[in-house]
Amino acid sequence: MDIYHHLTSDFIAILITLKLAIVTCFFLALIGTPLAYFLAFKSKKTKPFIETIVTLPLVLPPTVIGFYLIIFFSPEAVLGKIFIILTGEQLIFSFYGLVLASIIYSLPFWVQPLQASFEKIGRDTIRTSYSLGAGPLDTFFNVTIPLSKRGFFTSLIISFAHTLGEFGIVLMVGGGIHGKTKVIAISIYDHVEQLSFGKAHILAGGMLILSFIILFTLFYFNKRTVVRVK
Amino acid sequence: MSNLSVFLNGKIGNLFLNFEHNFKNDGITILYGPNGSGKTTIFSALGGFINNLETRIFFNGNELHDIDKYPPYKRPFGIMFQNPILFEHLSVEENLDFVIKRNQLNTQNKNLISKEYLINQLELNSLLKRSAENLSGGEKLRVVLARTILKHPHYLLLDEPMSDLDIKYKAKLLVFLKDFNKKFKIPILYITHSIEEISQIGDQIVLIKDGKKIDSGSVSNILNRSSFVDLTGKFESSSILEGIVSRHDKNLHITTLDLNGQKLIVPGLPGKLHDIVRVRIRSRDILLSSSRLKTQITENELQGLISSIEIEKNSAFSELVIVLKNFKNNKNKQKLRARITTYNLQNKKLLIHDNVFIYVSSVSIDRQAYQSK
Repeated sequence: MDIYHHLTSDFIAILITLKLAIVTCFFLALIGTPLAYFLAFKSKKTKPFIETIVTLPLVLPPTVIGFYLIIFFSPEAVLGKIFIILTGEQLIFSFYGLVLASIIYSLPFWVQPLQASFEKIGRDTIRTSYSLGAGPLDTFFNVTIPLSKRGFFTSLIISFAHTLGEFGIVLMVGGGIHGKTKVIAISIYDHVEQLSFGKAHILAGGMLILSFIILFTLFYFNKRTVVRVK
Repeated sequence: MSNLSVFLNGKIGNLFLNFEHNFKNDGITILYGPNGSGKTTIFSALGGFINNLETRIFFNGNELHDIDKYPPYKRPFGIMFQNPILFEHLSVEENLDFVIKRNQLNTQNKNLISKEYLINQLELNSLLKRSAENLSGGEKLRVVLARTILKHPHYLLLDEPMSDLDIKYKAKLLVFLKDFNKKFKIPILYITHSIEEISQIGDQIVLIKDGKKIDSGSVSNILNRSSFVDLTGKFESSSILEGIVSRHDKNLHITTLDLNGQKLIVPGLPGKLHDIVRVRIRSRDILLSSSRLKTQITENELQGLISSIEIEKNSAFSELVIVLKNFKNNKNKQKLRARITTYNLQNKKLLIHDNVFIYVSSVSIDRQAYQSK
């Protein structure tokens, strides 16, 4: 009974983790893609500033981001208040708080490969397309996106894998609530704390294999793309 | 008829651009000048890609500089950039279809330039199904040229299109461009550094240096002017002569041109009988003598009158301008630049207004510089 309970608990954690990764990648595509495009083609003066902001999550300890997010997400803060008004729920310790945190944390992993890919296409290609009579949207969907397939693929894989493996921020912002915000990484941590090495092995081994497969797929199909993480 | 007038003023990078010109609406106009003189910038401005310059572009009475009304994708030009780009996610044929799909509106007279015509002329048939990714430089260039033309532009802008080609194909493509221009009456603005290309296809030429127009006019006039020589350097100094084909010798593979009653023998068989053919003769390939030589040392002996002598300072050379004698007494005056050592000039006691005999070997006449009219 006890074993069965723990298995389902781990199974739920796996589902939550996958759901988190999928939802996060969806929003990253919406937010990170225009941002990468802007950084690659549009910005000049603001570029270093925006690049710094986007890259910060790479160098900051997760606890620092987690700490500030807790403050912003708290019901007393503006963001937290707005969320309560909109949904009636608290942002902190909620699944959507987790999504928001993951978006911020994985943003550089979406933006950087895509930005590099856009930059490789270059201004001249875009100009060529314009001069042939294709408007900006036409060019974006029929030239830029098809030409940056590899970039999108890399961004998706890396962001997905990275969101799967996140621990620190998820623990601080989500609190590891069973069935709600407890993801695989936290489950493993709990198992180890309780010295349940067997269960930890299953999850950790699963993560190891999954991450290996994901990265191997990336490098196998994307031989020419260098994953650039500054 | 259409008319393209361009005014650009302002600083871009290190270049201070102050350019104004009314481009002719037929024929091929060459834009010539040193690197960094602003030629490519003019193309970018025409394409609508420059917004930090004071720009006035009028075309067919439309104010193209109104970027809201005429964004880059609504301009009537076909632009081929210096490093031509193909969409590598598409096949060669899909690249051509890309522009056909997007320019149906201005192609009511669809039969005017057909895809098949260009595939034929530019020998693209074997390339059509190939991916645009793995083409050689020359193949790529032909596809890009075809794609640019398929836009049915009202003005074709080509930025050094031949720089990547081998000589043999270059000659073919130049002939194609010249024919295309004549057949479809689409004016071409053409950037090049090659004097051969200028003399072969250029009708008009605009000289530009440090962002300013220095001179402009017909190619045969400008190439003999000092403004052009200043840009090319004295070593490349040359003259363009125009003559009427009076005889083709198919056995010896030479052509005799009639230059207002004087004969000039050139290698090859350019043009048809009675065509006007343009040839380029480098100033340093000319020999001068104050009297007729008893044994003619070259195929060609021309007569002329020295109209100016410039003795260069700190140099061994002098440059002479010679007006060729016109035995037909028409108004057609042809000038020849000659570059000889000052030592030679003084030895032969050549003076201004003297008659001279000019000797040019046919070997040194620019073989690529033929243009039939």
